[in-house]
Amino acid sequence: MAIAQSVLLCLAAAGIAAAQEPAPSPSLAQSRQVVQKVCGVCHTPESVITGGRTRAQWQETIDKMITAQGAKGTPEEFATVLDYLSSQYGPASSGSTPGGRGGRGRGAAPGGMLAGAGPNDKHVVDEAAADRGRKVWAAECIDCHGTYARGTDNGPNLVRSELVLHDRYADKIGPFLQTHKMQSGALGNTLTAAQIGDLAHFIHQRVYDTLRGSPIFVVHNLLTGDPQAGKAYFNGAGGCHNCHSPTGDLKGIASRFDPPALQARFLNPRPLGGRGGRGGRGAGTAESTSPGAKPVTLTVTPPGGPAVTGTPIVFDDFDVSVRDVNGEYHAWKRTPELKVVKNDPYAAHDELLTRYTDKNMHDILAYLVTLK
Amino acid sequence: MKLPGIIASLALLSAGLWGQTGLDSRKLLQPPIDTWPMYHGDYSGRRFSTLTTINSSNVQSLSLAWSYRTGVGGIKATPLEIDGVLYFSAPDHVWAVDARTGRELWHFAWQSNGGIHIGNRGVGVYGNWLYFETPDCNLVSLNLKDGKERWHKTNCDLDQFYYGSVAPLIIRNHVIAGVSGDDLDRPGYLSSYDPETGDLQWRWYTVPQKKGDPGSDTWPNEDAMRHGGGMTWQVPTYDPELNLLYVTTGNPQPVIAHKNRAGANLFTASLVALNPDTGKMAWYFQASPHDTHDWDATQVPVLIDGEINGQPRKLVALAARNGYFFLLDRTNGKNLVTSPFVPTNWAKGIDRNGTPIPDLAKMPQIDGALVSPNQGGATNWPPPTFSPQTGLFYVGASRAYSVYYIYDTDDNPQGWGGTDRGGANLGSMVQAIDYKTGKIRWSHPWESGGRSGLMSTAGNLVFTGDGSNNLVALDATTGAPLWHANLGASVGNGPITYQLDGAQYVVVAAGDALWAFVMPKR
Ligand code: HEC
Ligand code: HEC
Repeated sequence: MAIAQSVLLCLAAAGIAAAQEPAPSPSLAQSRQVVQKVCGVCHTPESVITGGRTRAQWQETIDKMITAQGAKGTPEEFATVLDYLSSQYGPASSGSTPGGRGGRGRGAAPGGMLAGAGPNDKHVVDEAAADRGRKVWAAECIDCHGTYARGTDNGPNLVRSELVLHDRYADKIGPFLQTHKMQSGALGNTLTAAQIGDLAHFIHQRVYDTLRGSPIFVVHNLLTGDPQAGKAYFNGAGGCHNCHSPTGDLKGIASRFDPPALQARFLNPRPLGGRGGRGGRGAGTAESTSPGAKPVTLTVTPPGGPAVTGTPIVFDDFDVSVRDVNGEYHAWKRTPELKVVKNDPYAAHDELLTRYTDKNMHDILAYLVTLK
Repeated sequence: MKLPGIIASLALLSAGLWGQTGLDSRKLLQPPIDTWPMYHGDYSGRRFSTLTTINSSNVQSLSLAWSYRTGVGGIKATPLEIDGVLYFSAPDHVWAVDARTGRELWHFAWQSNGGIHIGNRGVGVYGNWLYFETPDCNLVSLNLKDGKERWHKTNCDLDQFYYGSVAPLIIRNHVIAGVSGDDLDRPGYLSSYDPETGDLQWRWYTVPQKKGDPGSDTWPNEDAMRHGGGMTWQVPTYDPELNLLYVTTGNPQPVIAHKNRAGANLFTASLVALNPDTGKMAWYFQASPHDTHDWDATQVPVLIDGEINGQPRKLVALAARNGYFFLLDRTNGKNLVTSPFVPTNWAKGIDRNGTPIPDLAKMPQIDGALVSPNQGGATNWPPPTFSPQTGLFYVGASRAYSVYYIYDTDDNPQGWGGTDRGGANLGSMVQAIDYKTGKIRWSHPWESGGRSGLMSTAGNLVFTGDGSNNLVALDATTGAPLWHANLGASVGNGPITYQLDGAQYVVVAAGDALWAFVMPKR
């Protein structure tokens, strides 16, 4: 279900985070405040941050918060959120929980700060042990249980096994193997305790690899389109050439973005909404300094008064306010006499979403990747 | 029980007097006036109040009564209001707060063993007892009077990555409890517990558990169906006359990569009618056959006593996450209306049962498929409302596109095996749907997004939240925005209303705070 449930970006209220972590440097504290402001609106502090994500994965999550959940902030604030989450909750962080591999490093996490799927005391995978276990697996188990432990005609799926899910550090798998016949024909009781422990790490790793955010949870080849057809669409039905040129603003775009990021980018080129995908490292500043970072503005004309244009701060049925180019703040109550016009440079791209076929989408990408 | 204001407040403060009776079970069968006794206000799920003290001509003078901050986290729960006390929850926490003043009466905190803490939808109350689910899979019963724990029972297995988030529903001597969790491939189910002992009365699995069970012909094999998902994230609705419970079910598993579950995958992404005494299914209607977009159908099945072609009819309406509004005859599940409430691009048409036919090309692809709605859905869990006065079904909706990818290319994918990324939200709005036809009567777009729960009243009002952190009152007939209050955080639940001492209150959650607005007695 539910975006509410599937969303893993869950952020600490500044206060709670501060209470449970070592005294932060001032800049960290400030970052945390921004995180709280932008994200705290929707998320409960206890559900907090699920770590173990790369910068690109965090970017993807943030993008989703913006496009699907309507998270709001300035480009600078989102960049701060990204920096904060990537540095504090990156792959190497103590905050790694499933999402990564089911709670690697979970033991080191401050209690209550993290919430991921499954119990707090879940099996934490030791990568080196899992690698050793892989060899035992290949020698004694793989024929029946399969490369990914998902089962074959000769043995059941262990990823779905309740015995495995209840296991901690071979306390269930170990006893079970004692009488289990292996590939060599020998019983599992001929394995050493260390080998059995390693096998348990390997099997739990296979379970965690099926979770969202795992190392195998990645985009594959997106370049299935026809570059010629993409070019024709660019210059024809798509109308892209009216606003872009392959030798002008889009020159070299393929060296700035890898294919997944590029696909996300042309589908939604907003400074943040479209900045997703791998290769997003440093994209925050890259985008805000790129000529592409065009702001959405409002032009507000009070009855008799001069029109004011600026970036929207508040915009709803009752109030409107903008910050103009000089940094001046202007606010009005909305009335029928007050004219408000939204200038959205991304409207054309939004409209394109309703027109693209999947073939168009693949062809455009195939064409854009040629713009090295 | 009608007491003059002063005596009632005194009674509240004196523990000896207050709470002796708990919730009078007759309240469960009456329209919510001085009480909001269950998650949806009443069994119908329509979240409509007959109160008119606040109405479209005076709502401008609705004013703040109080606010209460939990300091703990985002409130997604719809509070219950019983005898002048509000009861609500956040993951691992329950509070009792004076409904007139916002004063805390008690706070219960659960020691957690884990589970996803993304949200808790609320509590159920039976007599003197309160029930709620914890993220670590427990159904907990508290004493309504002081918040002391009476017992807790295991509702799910945390090791299988299930968790608890949904509000229990009380029907006579049944505590109906759903289950959450879609990280691993596990079956969904709905359980009924004895309100006194907490003993399990029955459990209905949303997916067949063996070959030959109803629906098993829509799965390739036993392994697939037994791990086929279908979580019960939503609070059911109930028709006391028909004695049928209306349950909506979640997405099948694996969620996105779907090679190993060919077929319609019953009874996932469906609306089913169960007998609440036995857990036996009476009928089903599937909203998304073979769902591959994490859309599920766990929106609120709203019961409407309406009229079709001049004939009085018992109906049930569902505005599903997949973008379609469905109207069924709730005696037998026969479809009467299927109509998109926002434009979508994933279905090739509607079959003769009224079910959308998924377009294979719009299922997730390795190189991506551009799909609308996105995973967030055309709508989501925040509750809609139906006003019998206007005949309109109001739902918070979005039109969004994203690209669905397969990540796990194995023939036997597990878990999610893919997701959606990117795209854009083209707009969020309140859709007012004519229930008889599914046609949009009016649409109120939000300038800055937003999608919250709704409530309608006989005062010709619809209350909901916008994307600017406002609680907004719309004219129920025209959709015109009439009143707002900025709460500093977006509305996180469905608003409720009740009348005490002649004054009508509207209570809503935003962030970690509960806000109460009041219109004094006329
Ligand atoms: C000759 C095929 C074969 C080989 C080799 C084999 N297994 Fe099994 N395994 C099975 C079968 C069949 C079952 C199910 C019947 C049973 O419980 O014995 C099973 C069951 C299991 C279970 C219990 C699953 C559950 O949910 O009850 C575990 C754990 C397991 N195997 C681990 C291993 C490991 C680890 C190895 C390698 C050291 C291994 N198996 C080698 C065939 C095999
Ligand atoms: C009406 C004008 C308009 C049209 C038509 C249009 N775009 Fe854009 N596009 C924009 C704007 C505005 C941006 C934001 C960045 C900028 O200012 O260049 C943008 C950004 C982009 C970017 C990201 C550029 C970067 O430097 O990051 C790509 C790629 C892109 N568009 C591709 C396309 C394609 C492909 C089409 C046709 C299918 C298209 N656009 C049609 C206006 C347009």
